[in-house]
Amino acid sequence: MTDVSQTRTGGIDYRRRQRLSRIAHSLVILAGAIVLTIYVIAPVTWLVSSSFQTEAEIVSVPPHWIPDEPTLQNFEAIFTAQEEEEITYETRSGQDPAAGGFIPSTAKNLLPAMWNSFIVATLVVILNLLVGVPAAYALAKIRFWGRDGSVYFILITRVIPDIALVVPFFLVIRKLGMLDSIFSLVLTYLAVTVPFSVFILLQYFEGLPDELDKAARVDGCSRFQALVRVFLPLSLPSLVAVVLFTFLTSWNEFLLALMFTQTEASQTLPILLAAFTSDFTISFSFINAAGVLAIVPPVIVAVIFERYIVSGLTAGAVKG
Amino acid sequence: MARIRFENVEKKYANGFHAVKDLNLDIRDKEFLVLLGPSGCGKSTTLNMIAGLEEVSDGNLLFDDELVNYTPPHKRDVAMVFQSYALYPHKTVFDNIAFGLQMRKAPRAEIETRVRDAARKLEIEHLLDRRPSQLSGGQRQRVALGRAMVRDPAVFLMDEPLSNLDAALRISMRAEIKELHQQMQTTFVYVTHDQAEALTLADRIVVMRDGVVQQIGSPDDIYERPKNTFVASFLGSPPINYIDGVIEDRNGDGVKFVRGDLMLTLPEEIAAKLRHSDRREVRLGIRAEDVDEAAQGGEGTIIRGKVNSVLPVGSDQFLGFDFYGEELFFRVSKDLSHKVGEDVALSVDLNRLHLFDKDSGQSLLW
Repeated sequence: MTDVSQTRTGGIDYRRRQRLSRIAHSLVILAGAIVLTIYVIAPVTWLVSSSFQTEAEIVSVPPHWIPDEPTLQNFEAIFTAQEEEEITYETRSGQDPAAGGFIPSTAKNLLPAMWNSFIVATLVVILNLLVGVPAAYALAKIRFWGRDGSVYFILITRVIPDIALVVPFFLVIRKLGMLDSIFSLVLTYLAVTVPFSVFILLQYFEGLPDELDKAARVDGCSRFQALVRVFLPLSLPSLVAVVLFTFLTSWNEFLLALMFTQTEASQTLPILLAAFTSDFTISFSFINAAGVLAIVPPVIVAVIFERYIVSGLTAGAVKG
Repeated sequence: MARIRFENVEKKYANGFHAVKDLNLDIRDKEFLVLLGPSGCGKSTTLNMIAGLEEVSDGNLLFDDELVNYTPPHKRDVAMVFQSYALYPHKTVFDNIAFGLQMRKAPRAEIETRVRDAARKLEIEHLLDRRPSQLSGGQRQRVALGRAMVRDPAVFLMDEPLSNLDAALRISMRAEIKELHQQMQTTFVYVTHDQAEALTLADRIVVMRDGVVQQIGSPDDIYERPKNTFVASFLGSPPINYIDGVIEDRNGDGVKFVRGDLMLTLPEEIAAKLRHSDRREVRLGIRAEDVDEAAQGGEGTIIRGKVNSVLPVGSDQFLGFDFYGEELFFRVSKDLSHKVGEDVALSVDLNRLHLFDKDSGQSLLW
């Protein structure tokens, strides 16, 4: 009661001041969150929105966030792209770009390229797991001579920038006769992703108690069985992290794909999408529609696997 | 059936740590053997070598005359209970217990009966469908025991299985483990740093320090006839008191231990053993409980000092006792009232004295 009378006479209402500062604090955080959200969402929104617009609408000023006349013509163009008459500068220059309806000369390669990307990414994911899981288990749970050295070596290979590896990779790939084959990509992506996968899994396995490993082995498991029957079921979150990381890395990779692929036999989506910008004419609506298609598979993969990232799965293994 | 023999076994780790040095140990069939020592003494390493979880660096490890140095754990007939229980968090209690049998491809019906049987013995039948995270510490401990029990192994290994439990539960589980040993009629090797566990459970105790066996013997041997000061100090609560002094052998007056005013006449039995040695500087050990109020017993048995602290422990009390600047602890009846700062005289039970070489710490008596 005394402090109330004091505030009346003294003039400073500390409680009110505290409340105001709390509200101000929340407002600042809210504003920051909104800015960040817009920053992240806006480009994707524009990509999706414009893929349903005609070329004329895309270039209109001010831009339309919601299409006036939504159209599927861009997607139709992708799925119906045929090996038609040869497209040359002459055939193109006569058309009116604003009317839309024309597509890049390599449009028919888009779906095959997507398929290439998918195959490469899937193979890289599977091989990463096949190589990374046993490697990480051995490094985490077996104390062999040279273990620490191996871990450092694997980590060091991870910090070398890809660009430094392009030339040696190219020489090796050429020697192997793998140029312009998706296997060149699988091989090189493995070199780039396996160290990081091992690193993720190693961290996770080291966090699982040694005694679980010992218990499994005394219970009758060989090392391999201990890995498969005890460690893998407990490592789902880290396995999912590896799947997502390697899939997205492979799906998005540009530099190596640019070096090793030449034709539609091996070209991946990023290469083809980039090529659209250097065609005779640039069709923004078409490129954006292709861009939307390009983000669909990673989004699906992320949605499927995200639910397996559950924490607390190891709770109860040991006291605590 | 399992007799386990260590012959000159060494264990060195890759980082150069020498965990076990020249271990020679013969574990008898159906024996309850306790490996006792402070942390880092090599007791868990020894256990892991029996399980096959650690390789033997040098020497031979034999199960019933068969060399098993290179036999992997899943091919040895051993079961193990861990300090942290190490239950499989993704499996139910039933599957945790059944896992060892499943790995050994036991028929499904047999697994079912054996798991239920073990669960009934351990009173965890109602928990079989739960996961480890839903269990209390004591229940997890029982599941871990069940997992080992159900396999009916030739050797049952336990690595500080009770140290994560609270005090009351620990004592009741001790009794259960002892009962389990009697029921199972198999060789138990049990690692602990808790002397009380070792003394209550063991047929024989192996005391280890820095990878070296200090003494092997029955609990009685280890407690009553410690071979050196380390063993003597490690067992007993409060720990044994040491007084450095000299042995005097004046003609006709008997052999005496002397330190300042303190003069204890050693009984003939002890004196006889000392005659073999020309050691004069010795370390006397008096266990905390081996004193009494000075009313009985004459000169030659009395130790005097000033009370530093009085610590009641329910059944009796500990007296902290200042003796030439050293703090000694004695356990006396709680009926005696002593105040801090008071001078007291206690009579020592001379037949239960321990004498050690002052430099090497080796017992002069045993």
